[in-house]
Amino acid sequence: MSGIAPMFPNEKPEHPYLQQSYGGKVFGNFASLFCGGCGYGIIGQIFTRIFEDEKLDPKLHPTVIGIGCYSQIMLLVHEAAQKVLALHGRAPAVATGMKMANPKMKPIVFSGDGDCLGIGGNHFIHICRRNVDCLIMIFNNSIYAMTGGQGAPTTLYGAKSTTTPYTMFENRTDGVKLALAAGAPYVARTTVAHPRTLMKYFRKALRHKGTSVIEIITPCVTYFGRKNLSNLGEEYKGEKGEKMDTGGKMIDWIKRNSVRINQAKFMTDEELFNKYIIGEFRYEPKPEYSDEYAKIQKIAMGGK
Amino acid sequence: MSSSSDKRFLPEGRHLLMGNIAMVEGAISAGLTFFGGYPITPSTEAIEHLAKRLPEIGGCCMQMEDELASINSVIGASLVGAKSMTATSGPGLSLMTETISMAANLEIPFVFCDVQRTGPGTGLVTEPHHNDLGLMRFSGNGEFQVIAIAPMNCQELFDLTITAFNYAETYRCPVFLMSDAYLGHLHEVVNIPPKEEILKRVIKRESPEDAPARVFSYKDRETGEYVIPKPPIMGTDYCPGLFIHLPHGPEGLPTPKPMEFMEMMIEKIKSNIDKITMVDKYKLEDAEIVIIAYGLPVRTSYRAVEIARQEGIKVGLLRLITVWPFPDELVKEVVKDAKAVIVPELNYTGIIAEQVQRVTKLTTPIIKIGKVAEFHHPDDILKVIKEVAK
Ligand SMILES: Cc1ncc(C[n+]2csc(CCOP(=O)(O)OP(=O)(O)O)c2C)c(N)n1
Ligand code: SF4
Repeated sequence: MSGIAPMFPNEKPEHPYLQQSYGGKVFGNFASLFCGGCGYGIIGQIFTRIFEDEKLDPKLHPTVIGIGCYSQIMLLVHEAAQKVLALHGRAPAVATGMKMANPKMKPIVFSGDGDCLGIGGNHFIHICRRNVDCLIMIFNNSIYAMTGGQGAPTTLYGAKSTTTPYTMFENRTDGVKLALAAGAPYVARTTVAHPRTLMKYFRKALRHKGTSVIEIITPCVTYFGRKNLSNLGEEYKGEKGEKMDTGGKMIDWIKRNSVRINQAKFMTDEELFNKYIIGEFRYEPKPEYSDEYAKIQKIAMGGK
Repeated sequence: MSSSSDKRFLPEGRHLLMGNIAMVEGAISAGLTFFGGYPITPSTEAIEHLAKRLPEIGGCCMQMEDELASINSVIGASLVGAKSMTATSGPGLSLMTETISMAANLEIPFVFCDVQRTGPGTGLVTEPHHNDLGLMRFSGNGEFQVIAIAPMNCQELFDLTITAFNYAETYRCPVFLMSDAYLGHLHEVVNIPPKEEILKRVIKRESPEDAPARVFSYKDRETGEYVIPKPPIMGTDYCPGLFIHLPHGPEGLPTPKPMEFMEMMIEKIKSNIDKITMVDKYKLEDAEIVIIAYGLPVRTSYRAVEIARQEGIKVGLLRLITVWPFPDELVKEVVKDAKAVIVPELNYTGIIAEQVQRVTKLTTPIIKIGKVAEFHHPDDILKVIKEVAK
């Protein structure tokens, strides 16, 4: 993170979506701690928009945030939201506890690829398996950005990072496939280059009772872009790449490297290698955990 | 979630209960509504019993995927206002320390039942070993204080669990209940008091009506005292916008003075040490030899004192019911004129013996009697008493 907050006027502009955030309170402006070109700002803004448009009740939607660069989203998003910073990877478990202690709630989990698919993979699998009513957003920037650009379980084959200086050779985790295998009823993937789709999925997930997983491909300019060439994933086509050192170049790359789910059906595995398949993978609502538990409670209390 | 159902309380009177079950019944009486756990010998009966009991009263007992998930679900539940706890043994505690330190930072109340077994590693799973205190008192990174309570029989497992919940609500720090493999599996008669009496003791989780902005502890600048507000509840007005586990001020916003925060973390407990500390002083008035014990060895020590007294040896017992924070001043006072101090512990190192050494600055001879995976026999202690008395 750059750590240099852009300065904005102190007074609140007349804009429905520009909320005085926590960061605003602390720093006296509408500060964002993200690097220029980072995708997390877009996500934070979308959250605030949805929060305003849908008139979300902050008391029913505790926001649980994992550890990564995106943790700073808490300084950015809607002030009214009740936010808690969880430990690295443990956000799904915290959300489970919240939901079960107060079944009226529907927690929203912000998590990263390293957070959710690396260190917290187990919790992620099990929240999907249980189908706890909760919205999980996985921000996949293909890198451990917060700690300075190390390889993540999602890093693409052939990409460079500080811990894979000679290119990544491990197989990558696919968060969507993992969620599908674990049984999450609503699974989708999109990118920050498709903000309207993201908002659509977000709204749908809010209305869906059960675990919803949305993986969002987002650019990390500072640690992923600067180290990698824009032909990543397309080397076999013999294209010449350039360094992706700006947000624009990365967004371009993300768009190019994403394949819609209905297109992907007609493509071979080889063609899909290192690509991101985007779209809705599953929407099959099924009995939710706290509802099922309520039935157990009824039996235990002696009812039928 | 309503827990006001009649099933919350066991019928008044005498019950034959296993230690682990007395412990969780105490927790239910104290208002427990969420339990997150993972099976581990010798604590497993706790989760098994709660899986049956908690749904009866509208609560929730979850078997999580691992200990990391258990403790995180527990703090999640506590954040939204449920009294919550977990039960585990040494290996589980080792895994949970990161979250304990986070909960300490955010002053999230919860109770931690540690049914200790012989370590290190997997160790002997059905044998006791008071080895976790070392880990417990500094459980996790950062500086903070915990409270550790050591019951010695099933009745106390019931009563002191209620106390543990009250401490968690009042002092907002991790509260440990130190049981062990033998105590947890012991079957004893427990006297259950009438429910009105229990209710009178229990501190409820309620948010204050005026919902003040200061939701975390702070030092009152005028009186110099530490103010510990009631725990905030997510989903109500009494909640900061942000729970963030870095040095923070009373409103929950990051503070530029981490040192003051650390001071608060430690002193909010230390300044209340007199209110927290529970001890039993047994025949200490004229004692020349002092035994200091906690947990199961206390029972043997009482017997050893009895026998020694019959033989005319002036020996007394200081029983630590709360082991941590260690009552420095009190121990100093008790051992002031002692010829020797005997510390029987269920470990080799002598974790509390070291504390006594620290307090007495090595001026009094301290004799450790260590045992691992077995009981002290009163004769073990008596032998030492006689040697010292010679
Ligand atoms: C237990 C633990 N281990 C390691 C860390 C250090 N750490 C902080 S953030 C992070 C990586 C996060 O990566 P990701 O979730 O992908 O988020 P990003 O920074 O890429 O947005 C790591 C390893 C930590 N905070 N806690
Ligand atoms: S994810 Fe990358 S671009 Fe975004 S703030 Fe972190 S380091 Fe900067």
